[in-house]
Amino acid sequence: MTAISKHNNRESFLNRVASSLGRERAYNVKRPDIKGMIPDSYGTLTSDDLINILKEQCFFIHTQLIESTPELLQKTLDDLIAANGGGPVMTSGDPRFNRYELSIPDSSVWTEASGREGNIRRAEAANTAIIFADYVLAESGTVVIESRPDQGRSLHFLPEHYIAVIEKERIVLRSTQAAADLNRRIEAGEPVGSSINFISGPSNSADIEMQLVVGVHGPLRATYVLI
Amino acid sequence: MKVSIFSTCLVDLMTPAAGKAMVEVLERLGCELDYPASQVCCGQPTYNSGYLEDSKLAMKNMMLAFEHSDYVVGPSGSCIAMFHEYPKIFKGDPDWELKAVALKEKSYEFTQFIVRVLGITDVGARLDGTATYHRSCHMTRLLGEKETPYQLLEQVRGLQLEPLKNSDNCCGFGGTFSVKMPEISGQMVDEKCDSVMETGADILISADMGCLLNIGGRLSRKGLPVKIMHIAEVLNHTSEPAAAKGGLSS
Amino acid sequence: MSLKTDNREFGERTADGIGNAFMRSAVSSAQDSLKTRRLTAATALGDWEAWRVVGQTIRQHTLQNLDFYLNQLADNIEAKGGQIYFAATKEEASSYIRDVVVSKQARKIVKSKSMVTEEIEMNKVLLEAGCDLIETDLGEYILQIDDWDPPSHIVAPALHKDRNQIKRVFTEKLGYTGDESPEKLARHAREVLRQKFLEADVGITGCNFAVANMGAINLVTNEGNGDLTAAIPKTQIAVMGMERIVPTMEEMEVLDNLLCRSAVGQKLTSYITVMGPKAAGESDGPEEFHLVVVDNGRSEILGSEFNEALQCIRCGACLNVCPIYRHIGGHAYGSIYPGPIGAVITPLLGGYDDYKELPFASSLCGACTDVCPVKIPLHEQLIMHRQNIVKEKRTGAAERFQMKAAGRLLSSPSMFGKVLRLANPGSRMMSKHGRIVRGPGLIQGWVGVRDLNQPVKQADSFRTWMKERQGGTQQ
Repeated sequence: MTAISKHNNRESFLNRVASSLGRERAYNVKRPDIKGMIPDSYGTLTSDDLINILKEQCFFIHTQLIESTPELLQKTLDDLIAANGGGPVMTSGDPRFNRYELSIPDSSVWTEASGREGNIRRAEAANTAIIFADYVLAESGTVVIESRPDQGRSLHFLPEHYIAVIEKERIVLRSTQAAADLNRRIEAGEPVGSSINFISGPSNSADIEMQLVVGVHGPLRATYVLI
Repeated sequence: MKVSIFSTCLVDLMTPAAGKAMVEVLERLGCELDYPASQVCCGQPTYNSGYLEDSKLAMKNMMLAFEHSDYVVGPSGSCIAMFHEYPKIFKGDPDWELKAVALKEKSYEFTQFIVRVLGITDVGARLDGTATYHRSCHMTRLLGEKETPYQLLEQVRGLQLEPLKNSDNCCGFGGTFSVKMPEISGQMVDEKCDSVMETGADILISADMGCLLNIGGRLSRKGLPVKIMHIAEVLNHTSEPAAAKGGLSS
Repeated sequence: MSLKTDNREFGERTADGIGNAFMRSAVSSAQDSLKTRRLTAATALGDWEAWRVVGQTIRQHTLQNLDFYLNQLADNIEAKGGQIYFAATKEEASSYIRDVVVSKQARKIVKSKSMVTEEIEMNKVLLEAGCDLIETDLGEYILQIDDWDPPSHIVAPALHKDRNQIKRVFTEKLGYTGDESPEKLARHAREVLRQKFLEADVGITGCNFAVANMGAINLVTNEGNGDLTAAIPKTQIAVMGMERIVPTMEEMEVLDNLLCRSAVGQKLTSYITVMGPKAAGESDGPEEFHLVVVDNGRSEILGSEFNEALQCIRCGACLNVCPIYRHIGGHAYGSIYPGPIGAVITPLLGGYDDYKELPFASSLCGACTDVCPVKIPLHEQLIMHRQNIVKEKRTGAAERFQMKAAGRLLSSPSMFGKVLRLANPGSRMMSKHGRIVRGPGLIQGWVGVRDLNQPVKQADSFRTWMKERQGGTQQ
């Protein structure tokens, strides 16, 4: 790649940009305070309000939301897997699987040790993926997750069924809150995954006659389990 | 209240009935009217065609014509919206920028003036019939006036107003667009005619004569029996039967 | 595909569009349903107008400081082990991409939807280099297997095709045996393309926004193809127009909301991802990551009177409300960028020689300006184009003469008085029963479609009436 890198003409490119703007290059820029400009259309919300907003939105994004409890979680997942036609299942290596003492039959875990081919092969073969959400956005029905050594990118896309476990306390109103928190971590130099995914329901397309088809390249079905 | 009438060149030349109706309504509402005789056209036909310098002549003429007016009222959302563009067009021009701002600030479309300045929604009109209202793009989007025609029409006795489907779609007039690209404009006005016919209305009302000439002209070409009326004619209609007064074509 | 999609004259392209009944009914029903969906999603945000102002503020700030943010982006991408390439021209961009692909000895490429790759003619270059390149967005895939039919909409590229046409193409080209239901067609494409994802050496994606402080790119999709393109192949090449950048995820979040709601009426699309080179310890994602930043004429727009056109976030909302697009469809624009935004940027990128009609293909109804989530004054920019085209004397001599005359006439009360006197008698020759039936030039344009009464006689003009009335009241 060195031959190509030599052609890198960043400086001349950026100088041309600055000259189009009629000034010298800028090296110190403060971004505008948009937080103060964003209208607050909801007011104060309780945890129950957030759950209700999330439930309503799940209906619009063709996603089943199941209310469960930490105690019932194992059974809920077993039932869902059975309803999806059984395994194989692939889960992330999230420590919460242990914390909630879950044991998933006919399943594999995304691990660093399995390597690229091993993980992708298992994810492709899996009927269902199960993950834990890091943030949940009530308004858009979105789960937010990051790639990690124990949670790859394609885990969310290759299996036909996608199950996200949502802990109530992780629900925030909307993407504004999640983006602010993620950006705070980035600015503080904390590590974040190389891929941050905002997933709102199953894959879909309206490319044929604008008619909605649920299930295109990614999962055909998405289920959220609320605990 | 002293009001200067801005008749618009289209009304002057093609449809004086709309202008006359506007004058009669405003007088009935107690306005003292004058008509600055040096007015001609807001400059929109040439401006929208890209002929900026040629248009500025017409614009300057209008700024001078209405220089001493308190209020300027015209029967067209589009022409008044053009006045409202003047400050942008003459921005930084030391001789004209302030005049442009002044004209913008005292100019109102006819229905807007009645509702927002005079504070009146019932002008005592009566018109028996079923009508639909075409909102013009320039009045709703550029001038930003979406409500006053409806507020006034709601108070017209005997008038049943039917909603027009896709009322926010342009009728295809667009000034010189209608004659430079008649193939496209023709498709647009055809769809608008279909929507008008779907309402079952006998009368098509609008606050812009350009749209009315376009839709009315197409309806007439197709032999469709819908009468077009400028909103001023509707508001000027009192107790006589519809056939006796007003109406620009049938 | 290049910027230009059709070598025929504008009139011919338009006539084709108007004559295409299926396309028109598809476009109008898409417009009608998207109108409601967009409005619902926009209203759900609360004060939509305030959000538009935030969107506009972000875009303008970023453009005003574009060199700073691009530089920051480049530093952060390189710090993460990625490579960034700044391409001044489309040739530079597509050759760089070809060189990367060749250096990887890659043959199999999967691609997710990207308008800028069309603009730089990347597919052509890669196909000529012998690559097996597959568009994985369902709409783009349909167009590709139909011998690279050009897209007709920024967001829904195959909008002009119906299910039967698509079924026919699938049957012919893929040996598809099912019926024309969109579910089955989509499922078939899924199966074919799944294999392509798994085999691909290189994934090529667009970029909705690059995030400067992260050294990452943001993709907004519904199908999941963008993420698979970025997750499975070992090499990813992302291509962006140089203006598609935000300072941080906070600005990205605002723009993504505006984008999804405006484009498809969703609060957020199914997949919104911020991605970069694979991190240590992670198993999938690109081991080698290239971001190609494309100028290709944009720096000439930047800082010019058309600067605001660069605020565009490619949501396509202006197409979805445009009454012209409704009747002529996307192909009539002859550009990969159709509709109102296309009529603004295509002449900027492709020049007036080829595209001088586009700015005139508008009734200036302002629906585009009203709907634009980042407040680009689209119809005003169309007027600016018209002014430039007039200044360059590209309109006909006859029109220039007429407009000059009109300019004088419309500013002179005495000349206008003469017109009032002469219009009615003068139009008699062209009229029958009080109606004008034929006329020169522009008049013919009117009466070809609509009836037109003769102008009134001077004695009946408003002016005369008003003068008499005023005289009367003064006495």
